[in-house]
Amino acid sequence: MLFNSAVFLFAFLPIAYTVFWGLRTTRSRHVWLAITGYVFYGYWNPWFTLLMLFSTLVSYSAGLGFLRWSDARHRKLCLVIPVTTDLALLGFFKYANFGLDTAQATLHLLGMQVMLPHLNIILPIGISFYTFHTISYIVDSYRGTIKPTRNFFEFAAYVSLFSQLVAGPIVRFRTIEADLEAIGATDRTRWLARGVSFFIVGLVEKVVVADSIAAFVDPALSHYHLLSTVGAWLAMLGYTFQLYFDFSGYSTMAVGLGMMFGLRIPQNFNSPYKSLDPSEFWRRWHISLSTCLRDYLYIPLGGNRHGEAQTYRNLMLTMVIGGLWHGAAWTFVVWGGYHGALLALHRKFGRGWDTMNAGVRQIAMFVLVVFGWVLFRATSFGMALSLFHTMLVPTNGALVEQPVLAIGVLAIAAWWAMRGPNVYEMNLSLSLRRRAVLTAAFGASLALIIGSPFSPFLYFQF
Amino acid sequence: MSEIRAPGAITEALTPVSDASLLNAQLAAIPAGVAIEAPRTLARTATGIGLAVLFLLSFELTARVQDWVRFRMPILSPITSESDLMVRDAFGAHGRPGAQFRKWAMDSLGFRGPEVPAAKEPGTVRIVVTGASETFGLYESPHREFARALEDSLNARLAAGACAGSHLRRFEVLNDALPGMSLPTVEQDIHNRLGRFAPDVIVYYPSPAQFLEDRVPFATPRDTTRGSHDMPGAVRRILHPRTFDIVRDELKNLAPPVLLTWLRRRSAQAEQRRHPAGWQFTHVPRARLDDYEADLRELIGVIRAAGAEPVIATHATAFERPRSDSAALVQAWERYYPRATGSTIIRFDDSARASSIRAASDSGVVVADVAAMFAHADGDNFADFVHFTDAGSARVAEVMTPAALRALQLRHECLP
Repeated sequence: MLFNSAVFLFAFLPIAYTVFWGLRTTRSRHVWLAITGYVFYGYWNPWFTLLMLFSTLVSYSAGLGFLRWSDARHRKLCLVIPVTTDLALLGFFKYANFGLDTAQATLHLLGMQVMLPHLNIILPIGISFYTFHTISYIVDSYRGTIKPTRNFFEFAAYVSLFSQLVAGPIVRFRTIEADLEAIGATDRTRWLARGVSFFIVGLVEKVVVADSIAAFVDPALSHYHLLSTVGAWLAMLGYTFQLYFDFSGYSTMAVGLGMMFGLRIPQNFNSPYKSLDPSEFWRRWHISLSTCLRDYLYIPLGGNRHGEAQTYRNLMLTMVIGGLWHGAAWTFVVWGGYHGALLALHRKFGRGWDTMNAGVRQIAMFVLVVFGWVLFRATSFGMALSLFHTMLVPTNGALVEQPVLAIGVLAIAAWWAMRGPNVYEMNLSLSLRRRAVLTAAFGASLALIIGSPFSPFLYFQF
Repeated sequence: MSEIRAPGAITEALTPVSDASLLNAQLAAIPAGVAIEAPRTLARTATGIGLAVLFLLSFELTARVQDWVRFRMPILSPITSESDLMVRDAFGAHGRPGAQFRKWAMDSLGFRGPEVPAAKEPGTVRIVVTGASETFGLYESPHREFARALEDSLNARLAAGACAGSHLRRFEVLNDALPGMSLPTVEQDIHNRLGRFAPDVIVYYPSPAQFLEDRVPFATPRDTTRGSHDMPGAVRRILHPRTFDIVRDELKNLAPPVLLTWLRRRSAQAEQRRHPAGWQFTHVPRARLDDYEADLRELIGVIRAAGAEPVIATHATAFERPRSDSAALVQAWERYYPRATGSTIIRFDDSARASSIRAASDSGVVVADVAAMFAHADGDNFADFVHFTDAGSARVAEVMTPAALRALQLRHECLP
């Protein structure tokens, strides 16, 4: 089920909301949140709810184990077994074919004509996200950062929380634990207005901006080999903004939905295209992922505590694995490595970079990010190289569809992303004028949702 | 709870903003309550109404802009439905020149498709396809209805060397069909109007179930009172809210199939109750089948009189092969022809196929046996009981291409 679908807006959400606030006890609200999460997820494919339930039970049991045992050996077992189980599930569903294909190619390179099977696996939507939720819960429990919960439904509600189940933000138990525990005592009116405002702003980001851009970007990139240099730049600039508004829109809607149910879901985007350098970009882009990578990968690898060489190694490893988390393809690995290299170069030569004019740094950083998105969007290295070639070497060919309209939409998107306020910087108080603006925005979004072809969120694939 | 942090700047480089600070910032931003002074009831009602009006206006404006962006349909168009694409004038009923409703756009001559000159250019073979909604194209993507697919297929053959040595330079296919166009109306249009476009071949794709309507199909009466194609009440039509149509369509899409089937059955039963017992056809009505065949034979004569070579297609349905949703589809079809039971409609369609083939072969006319082809075709070819998907249209074109070339062979010695 999509946030930008009529069935979600007019059936699922009103029912989920009305029943939730009609319930009186904390326990019943936990149960209801868990049920809504499973219905939301099962709407796509009911069988995969069993997978989520299994992952939830394993992690919940690990939490009980941490509460029961205090000796190092048992605690280690409670860490290793469930994390391995979660990673095995993720590995099988997301990376099995990638591994087999890579092995096949390697064997061919070595001159061995072996045919490895290609497994017919459907990737469960959101598995990367809820696996992160369960692993972070287990690791934080092991570290003593959080006290595991004995309340199964509280934990099930956390894992299956529909607002952030399939595409984040990645919410750690510690950030939402207090709200979940106090969910029976939440002040409904305190949250509703702001939650609705966030949701509408997110809807506009996704439906009005991202989907309008998609209308010319998707056809252009499906025939990328026909594009001219200008066409390729328009398509990639379009994709740059499409990806941001699509994902940011989803996250903003998730935060808004969380507020409607009395849950504070952390900010995931902070105007990343306003960044002046690579470090700032990763402080602003997909914040929930970068903090997780930092806390569960970079720091355990040693962080920057063992000298410069080790720091660069850890940085590259973190970003490469972060790239692989996005998708089972070598293009994602190289994209991660590219950003790792940018972070390392900025760490090494940052002083020189920082002396440049801020406007120049913002544009330069933006262009570097656009080049990164070429790798991210490309379905093969051939496509990436072709796009790089077309963008950098003057080439005759096609423009995007309806170029004047496309440039107009891009200009609006560029202003909003690079100069305008993000949802946290907007004044969302309930003055009549602002209510009028939000009402009109909702009307426009709804017209586009109903009158347009199906449009899933880009980050669902991860 | 304290965060575990690594010492050093690089950790900060990745993310220096802690979750706690983010949460605090968010919490501070949330108002301590909806601190709005309770307005008086009247003011509150006025505000509510104003916001509702604003919502509808925004919805309507966006829908119109979207129609323009996606289909280039004018923002202030007086066309409010598919039925407005038809016009009645001194020739009879035919496509309204220059009209557009969403993806359905008519050219300046009243044909669905790209602009063509009224006078056929030298070296051009002009083929007219005509019929009802199946031919007009309801569910296909723009430019994927079978008339366009047939044109693409013929021109591809030409490019590949078919008809080599002839004077042919290109094929031009005109889509003369309109939703609900009856066989006698088609005859009338060919007789009164199509002849001046000098078609070489006219392909007719029939809708035999029309002969199960309450009355036998007849030609739409001509209207000699109107001198132009202007629509009456243009301002009212321009202001017709598209919002209602969009919402109605969406509700239909969202409704569970079980509910839709139940509603259709109720509608058909209500229609049957309005008529005396025995009104409904429970067996194939022989007289109606004879009427169909007689009209078809007459059509062949009219086409030849217009100077074109006929091609008669057989009508295909989604029931050529077994499918899981047959019962619901039959129910949906029955709603359009409540005078016949679902099984009678299907049997009538089968019998009409034999009539079409007989009428064509008696007159030495080429048959495009579309129904036979779909009996062996896999895939998702039908969007409902009789209308095609993109894939279905492409398959129809595959059958019609050799049929059209065979028909041309008689006139241009074009080899298939």
